[in-house]
Amino acid sequence: MSEMQTVAASAQKQLNPEEAAELALTEAKNLGCSDVSVVAFDSSESQVRFSNNNVTLVNNVRNIALEVYLSKDKKRILGGTFNPNPEGIKKFVNNLFASCQILPPSESYAPLPEGPFHYEGRGNYDQKIEDAPLTDYVKQAIDASLTAGAERVSGSLNAESTQIFIRTSAGASARDLYSSILLNARAFASDEASGHGLSCTSFLSDFRPEKSGASAGEFAKKSLYPKTLPEGTYNVIFSPTVVANIFPIASSASAFAIESGISFLVDRLEQRIGVQTLALEDQGVYKGGLGGRIFDDEGVATGSTEIVGDGTFRRMLHNATTAKKFDSKTTGNAGIIQPRPNTIVFGEGDIGLDEMIKETRNGLYVTNNWYTRYQNIRTGDYSTVPRDAAFRIEEGEIVEPIAGIRVSDSIPRQLDNIEFISSSREWIKWWEVDTPTYAPSMMVKGVHVTKAVGS
Amino acid sequence: MMSQISQNQDFVDYAVEQARAMGSEYAEARYERSSEVTCLLRNGVPEPAVMGDAEGIGMRLIFEGGLAFAATNEVSKEGIRALLDKMIRNAKSAASFSKEKIHFSEEECHVEKWSVDEKKKLEDVSVESLISFLKEIDATLKDPIKDVSFVNRLLFAGYDIDEKIYANSDGSHLEGRVPRVSYFGLLTALYSGATTTVSVPPGYAGLGGTGGWEVMDALNLTTLVPKGAGETTNGIKAVAKPPTDETLDMILGPGVAGLTSHESCGHPGEADRILGREGAQAGESFLKDNSIGMQIGSAEAYVSDDPTIPGSMGFYLYDDEGVKARKRGLIVAGKFSEFLQNRATAYHYGIKSNGSSRAVRFDREPIIRMGNTFIEPGDWTFEEMLKEVKRGVYIKSFMEWNIDDKRLNQRYVGLEAYIIENGQLKDAVKNPVFEITTPKYWGSIDARANDLEFVSATCGKGDPMQGAPVFTGAPHIRLRGVRVGAR
Repeated sequence: MSEMQTVAASAQKQLNPEEAAELALTEAKNLGCSDVSVVAFDSSESQVRFSNNNVTLVNNVRNIALEVYLSKDKKRILGGTFNPNPEGIKKFVNNLFASCQILPPSESYAPLPEGPFHYEGRGNYDQKIEDAPLTDYVKQAIDASLTAGAERVSGSLNAESTQIFIRTSAGASARDLYSSILLNARAFASDEASGHGLSCTSFLSDFRPEKSGASAGEFAKKSLYPKTLPEGTYNVIFSPTVVANIFPIASSASAFAIESGISFLVDRLEQRIGVQTLALEDQGVYKGGLGGRIFDDEGVATGSTEIVGDGTFRRMLHNATTAKKFDSKTTGNAGIIQPRPNTIVFGEGDIGLDEMIKETRNGLYVTNNWYTRYQNIRTGDYSTVPRDAAFRIEEGEIVEPIAGIRVSDSIPRQLDNIEFISSSREWIKWWEVDTPTYAPSMMVKGVHVTKAVGS
Repeated sequence: MMSQISQNQDFVDYAVEQARAMGSEYAEARYERSSEVTCLLRNGVPEPAVMGDAEGIGMRLIFEGGLAFAATNEVSKEGIRALLDKMIRNAKSAASFSKEKIHFSEEECHVEKWSVDEKKKLEDVSVESLISFLKEIDATLKDPIKDVSFVNRLLFAGYDIDEKIYANSDGSHLEGRVPRVSYFGLLTALYSGATTTVSVPPGYAGLGGTGGWEVMDALNLTTLVPKGAGETTNGIKAVAKPPTDETLDMILGPGVAGLTSHESCGHPGEADRILGREGAQAGESFLKDNSIGMQIGSAEAYVSDDPTIPGSMGFYLYDDEGVKARKRGLIVAGKFSEFLQNRATAYHYGIKSNGSSRAVRFDREPIIRMGNTFIEPGDWTFEEMLKEVKRGVYIKSFMEWNIDDKRLNQRYVGLEAYIIENGQLKDAVKNPVFEITTPKYWGSIDARANDLEFVSATCGKGDPMQGAPVFTGAPHIRLRGVRVGAR
């Protein structure tokens, strides 16, 4: 191809995602593929980043992307491209196919699920988010935080709208929409005292920047002059933000993770894995909640899967491939290679946070954490670092802020020692929590807490 | 003949010229094409190979002191013009809101093409050969090693090629190409009925570098991986409890010490964290504006970051703000001597950028990143260091680690570790916990060996998250007067 022709190819008109998906499917079928799934995304993301009460960046990203799965003669390959013009798609599919042809047949091959498919409703979507006045919301959050006692506030506000299309060789054809607006505010009352506030929703009417900003500011103010704490075991109340991070039950319930040995739920199906009050579901779309999709990457309608009920591990998450291996049925959680949760919903408890603090009598309250890492993924031995506001509870009341601690424990031990689960839940998605999670606060007995030498 | 990526120079130039014509104080554009191939062999069986490409234009401008970034993969002059309009509105909005205006340091202009040589072209490496490569490694792990069975094996190998053209309104025009190969392995070990997750290399690290497939050939993984797996068995079988009630000396292996250079020196020394820009996500730093020259460690503490190491995972010659890369001495003789800077933070400090600004894809803003961070080697041998320890612990490798978001309070949990008595290694010890503050850590180093080693890692930072390829490295180091805990 001459240089001029290449320039022309780069500049040629791009397809809309629906056209792009159709073209990729047709091209792959013409090449003789028996199984083809094409998922096309058209996403618009806007972001305002702020720190020290100033806006540091406004960010806009618009992308059209395709994920393509091909199989022929049980040989399987997966690809993704950001090049949605006709020539780019054809070239990409042909390259994928050429690479697929030289692979050995897959021992784990399973055909794509056949239709007819029935999709109910749509993802959580609010068109108003596309034109939301993000900078105004940031100002509201910062002002509320400063009023509540913060000296400075940092964070980000992200608004995203995505159209998603699927076409499969097995008859799936659908379109979905989802949106989200996520505020992550961190307020500082001093360099040693910070608080974290989140507002995560798919609907602008539920978005509460002032409330989140004020909450971060209040926590920061309450965290002034934190105390150190002796190492030991404590009864600890974890906020929804922490619960959503340190209890990765849904991702551990992926049949892929279990088969790979990288889950604490290996060989635990139908067994008790926690207290009887522990419940957890995966939901395709939690109506009125955050995110979610009506179909998975194999075109199967997403739905509700009970992962944990009455403290018992009820069901793994499957795609077609893992379902075949485990002699089960897909749960609508494909990932072509590995099943993954769509929306994680913890069961609600029966106690308010204030009552939980009162009933805990003596212990700790941890509002946020980060940097969770495993010594042994299989056994669930891990540690994580509390950050932002944390408090000591004495005689049923919060008495002082604490800092410089680390939680070092094991997931199975903690799930067996949950004493309280709150009746209220919050939507969580932020830096440390990828999958939208509807989580309560939990009090766990006997949590091992350590601290650094030199502190 | 022009390279393929060069065909898009016109878009880059147009974006910069238009942004300037519209009144921007500063503008830059980066057209970037990334392609990658990854294969996963799971318990000896290939999963579907994954191929991907990403291509598009990212632009950044300063208008009235406000900063805006935008990106799209629908690349046309009309689209660029429309995005620039939006960016200027956004920058104005940001500027009207903020008391502190954004300025960039003045930097030298560069017009250059640079690339990493490939002796064995990655585009010639088929998915079939990647799988064969992984199968050869897997074959070395199928049988028990020292009575430990590796019952689950997740082995990843792949490559990526990143090409970009860059221009800014100062007159820089750059074109770069970086091919990169990578390997990662996660194993589940079974011994005496107990299961343990380990990685080889330990600490969830990887192996690889920039260059063609010859980089992977040189690693000789069919020897290195089973050797590494064999070394983990000493930790897996260990039953002795760590000596938790005494102050003792410690020798850290290169993998552990290398990660400390990244976590406890590189990250806190990122100027954007120090100035609070990453406050809500990656966090801030215990260092302050005036911490240059601060004594943080002993006279034996030396940490550098050098993106120009040939073949390294974090290699680059120009950053994504058009600044030439160079080695940075972060801690020199125990004193913080330099922060990692981009042009905005350099302006704040009244200095030049040291070329630390990187973006991982066309649609991500450049932010301050490490390249290859490491503790400088000394002139001791491991045996000499060991000989002088009367009572101590040798933590050769680790798995679990974390650190608080100011980078003051860190923890490493040993995988392969031993008691040291009178200059000799004794019993293997189970999961010693090394939990220490940063000043105490750097202040406790009294010797550095001459056996510098690197591993690869993916460094997480930014919002949206950007996982950047880096090396971490160190020789064996010795610390005096520390403590260990137990899990």
